[in-house]
Amino acid sequence: MRAVEAIRRANQSGPPENSVLLRAACLGTVLVAIAACADMGEVSWATALGAMSLACLGMAFSYVTRSRPPGWIKILVAVGASGAFAWFFHAVSAPVGGITSVVNPLTVLLVSVLAVHSFHVPSRRDLLFSLGASAGLMGVGAAQAIQLRYGLFVLVWVFFSLWTLTEMWSSTSGGGRISATGLISAIAALTVTAAAIFLVLPAPVVAAKFNFLAQAGLGGFVGVPGGLAGDSGSPTQPSRAGSPQGPTRVGGYLGFADSLDTALRGKLGSTTVMLVRVQRPSYWVGKTFNQWDGENWTATLSSPHPLSQRSPFVLPVPEGNNLFGQSDLQTFYVVTSTADLVFHAESADQLWFPASKVFYANDGTIVSPIGLGSGAIYTVESQVTSPNPAQIRSATGQAALPLKSQSAYIQLPHPYARVHALALSITAGAQTNYDRVQALIAWIGAHTHYSTDIPPLPAGADTVDEFLFGNRVGFCEQISTSLAVMLRTLGIPAREAVGYVPGPYNPITDLYEIRADDAHAWVQVWLPASGWQSFDPTAVVPLANPAPGTIALADIGRVLARIPLIPAGTFVFGAALMAACVRWRRNRPPTWAGRIARRVERAGRRAGHPRRPNQSLGEYAMMLDTATGSGSATWRVLASVLEASAYGGLEPSSQTRRSLIAMVRRNGIRRRTVSLGTQKWAVQDSNL
Amino acid sequence: MPVSAMILVIWWLVAHNSGSGWVQAIGDVAFGTLTIGVVGPSVVLFRAKVRIVSAPNDATVGLPMEVLVDASTRLRVRADPPFDGEGLVGPGGRRRTADARITLVPQRRGVHDTLTLDIATAAPFALQWWSRRIVLPLPSALHVAPRRGRPHVLPVQPHEDAHVSVARAARDTGEPRGARPYRPGDNRQQVHWRATAHTGEMMVRELERPSAGPVTLTVTLPRDPEEAERVAERALATIVLLLDKGTSVLLATREASGQVLAPVSDRRGGGRRLARAVAGTGSSDQFGQIAVSP
Repeated sequence: MRAVEAIRRANQSGPPENSVLLRAACLGTVLVAIAACADMGEVSWATALGAMSLACLGMAFSYVTRSRPPGWIKILVAVGASGAFAWFFHAVSAPVGGITSVVNPLTVLLVSVLAVHSFHVPSRRDLLFSLGASAGLMGVGAAQAIQLRYGLFVLVWVFFSLWTLTEMWSSTSGGGRISATGLISAIAALTVTAAAIFLVLPAPVVAAKFNFLAQAGLGGFVGVPGGLAGDSGSPTQPSRAGSPQGPTRVGGYLGFADSLDTALRGKLGSTTVMLVRVQRPSYWVGKTFNQWDGENWTATLSSPHPLSQRSPFVLPVPEGNNLFGQSDLQTFYVVTSTADLVFHAESADQLWFPASKVFYANDGTIVSPIGLGSGAIYTVESQVTSPNPAQIRSATGQAALPLKSQSAYIQLPHPYARVHALALSITAGAQTNYDRVQALIAWIGAHTHYSTDIPPLPAGADTVDEFLFGNRVGFCEQISTSLAVMLRTLGIPAREAVGYVPGPYNPITDLYEIRADDAHAWVQVWLPASGWQSFDPTAVVPLANPAPGTIALADIGRVLARIPLIPAGTFVFGAALMAACVRWRRNRPPTWAGRIARRVERAGRRAGHPRRPNQSLGEYAMMLDTATGSGSATWRVLASVLEASAYGGLEPSSQTRRSLIAMVRRNGIRRRTVSLGTQKWAVQDSNL
Repeated sequence: MPVSAMILVIWWLVAHNSGSGWVQAIGDVAFGTLTIGVVGPSVVLFRAKVRIVSAPNDATVGLPMEVLVDASTRLRVRADPPFDGEGLVGPGGRRRTADARITLVPQRRGVHDTLTLDIATAAPFALQWWSRRIVLPLPSALHVAPRRGRPHVLPVQPHEDAHVSVARAARDTGEPRGARPYRPGDNRQQVHWRATAHTGEMMVRELERPSAGPVTLTVTLPRDPEEAERVAERALATIVLLLDKGTSVLLATREASGQVLAPVSDRRGGGRRLARAVAGTGSSDQFGQIAVSP
């Protein structure tokens, strides 16, 4: 019986809530949360608009029936909520394809429950539940939010939440209102607390085996199965070489095709191509090339073959790669149409992709059968091996590279005698292949410069010869090609890899933003005991003839890029706001009389009547009264109360204070100019 | 609070497994709001300024009295014993009018220079109430008189017989001062026959009042507060009865300063004396007694 009584008590509604403002603010949180989820695509706009209309209707109904809610409404709410739960369990019991298959039904469930529940919110406690549920809905929306635009919804929702809570206090206290200073202080303290927690807590990271997102975007089918869209970015156009006549299109890096022309580097622009959520940043490879002809790289060793499975695709181990490494889960959100290459960290072993098949080449290249248009999402899991130099040097055992492949990866179009001699001289003291690679990279870093602003190479010229023995200025394709060719002259297997490097990191969305000009080329070197290892010689190459200011700016930019600007800025802003409040409070006279006296002086000063040092407040007030010429003794009355308070300890009541100030405002603000002897006095602004 | 902490932990886990900074951001805002909602009221309470603007000088146990309180912020005020009552004070409402009046009901007689109040607030977010006990000085001493109980049984005066009403006896006793013409209602036993014969009209004796000497009421309060209240109530009722009869009353009580014997001229004076009265000393069999003499 006691338990039944406890349950009855727990379910008992509180007193009816009469505040319309509280209901309006609470409804605002619900509407914003539903709109946020709709904007993030977790619930359709039609559903969202329907739910928002229901929530408005329900809240109005609840207000009208708050004193005596009809009995049937509880049954209706219970049936509605049960139906929503039943639908949710039915939806999530379907074959799971990723987190979206749970999150989206969960969003619909929460939206439904919020809409239904709004028909029965008679009391303050019910409104508090609505506020909490809207917070949950915002959280569900945030779990998949990948855009900063979501911050707008968060800001609006926080505004409505704070409004709800302050209205709740007003309702609880029978009309209590927080002063503007108190509210600003509370918001400042809240901001500082939230920002401090954000800064102190470790950044959110993707847990392995949790996010398996895959979603088709706006791209269509590629014309040639397994073919590459190349620089066009169009899924219907097969691979083609870049054009020297003009800049390439957004996302249309020349290397994302069957061949890579090292004589050209188009202006790719800084448009965001993809957003990537990863456990650790890495170079995301799209394709590798093995055949070098002096100007172009081509992939001749293996052509992509179809893998017909259901997602997730289990990918074969790339030729020469290790079987085991550290799991690295990457989710790519395509923003702008890009090449149909499936980018991934090296040694991908599983792929969640919204298609019935993908094309796979032995070098690890993955080609999509559909165009990667805006909105496409796919997830890759790689087994990344990142051995340190000591591990590479001490590694034993010989991983086998097929003979055919071995010869293909040391292929050269001609002997490169000068290059060979240079490579030999640079690597004279190196003991291992790894040391040779490092020596060559160090030499490149010391003797070459990076620039994309160079004229095209002369027709028939060899890129490597021109770069190493010309002015030694070039871009990443030329720098990496030079390293690859130097290694090949030494008999070390090497190949050219193209893909994307991580762009700027956004700590709020936990996403790397890949821009079109983040397309990059680097070298993969075969190390017998470690397999294919990536080396980026461009990373150590300084900019060609950089201005000192540019270097300084670049350094500052790098430093700033490491600071999470939004939370840090919020923290600084909040701290500054608090400091300003504290300073203001310190400088503020401690008593009401002191504060008002100061304001009287300020008002008089503005009106051209500064208070003289030897003037008592009463005398000063008399002067102000004379100056206004109204004949009223407004200022004297005020001064007498202030002096009685300051020196006599006779504190006026709050009501008296308010009426005094109202009187002064009523009589003192009027603009008036009077002649007083030879002087003209103008008291025009009491500003009290 | 444990539920809130659990929700926040779950939230944090979701944030760190979904990889979305927005979840963490919303969670941090929620945590910040909870923190300010929980801690904020203590700051508001610490900074609150409360004073009693006015209070009555006299009150009676069990009867409501109003106190004007000036508060710098909106507060819930609850009086501590021996007062009962609560209310909301401080600026509030759409027009920022201040509520200042709280109604208190004294539960026990006594003299109070201060008022102990429990002030509480949940500002700014109404998530957590914090309360603080403050002792506020009253503008002037507040005397809380006892209730008026059943009067003590007064001894019958020698000139009274059992069938004469008290009012009649009071009128018809005293020393003769002279004679005056008869007025309807005068006691025929007071007719002054000699003067009647001398003047030729009906004359009656005029008695000097008070005819009897002052009554001394000695009140010894017991140590038990409840019992002391009952005794004080009866004493007040007796005083009122005596005063209504026109009898001068000398009230003997023990106050904190010692034994006090002083006349009581009206009910308020009696109430104040009894408010100040404390339990007697000496043998316990005298306690709780009201002695009327002569």
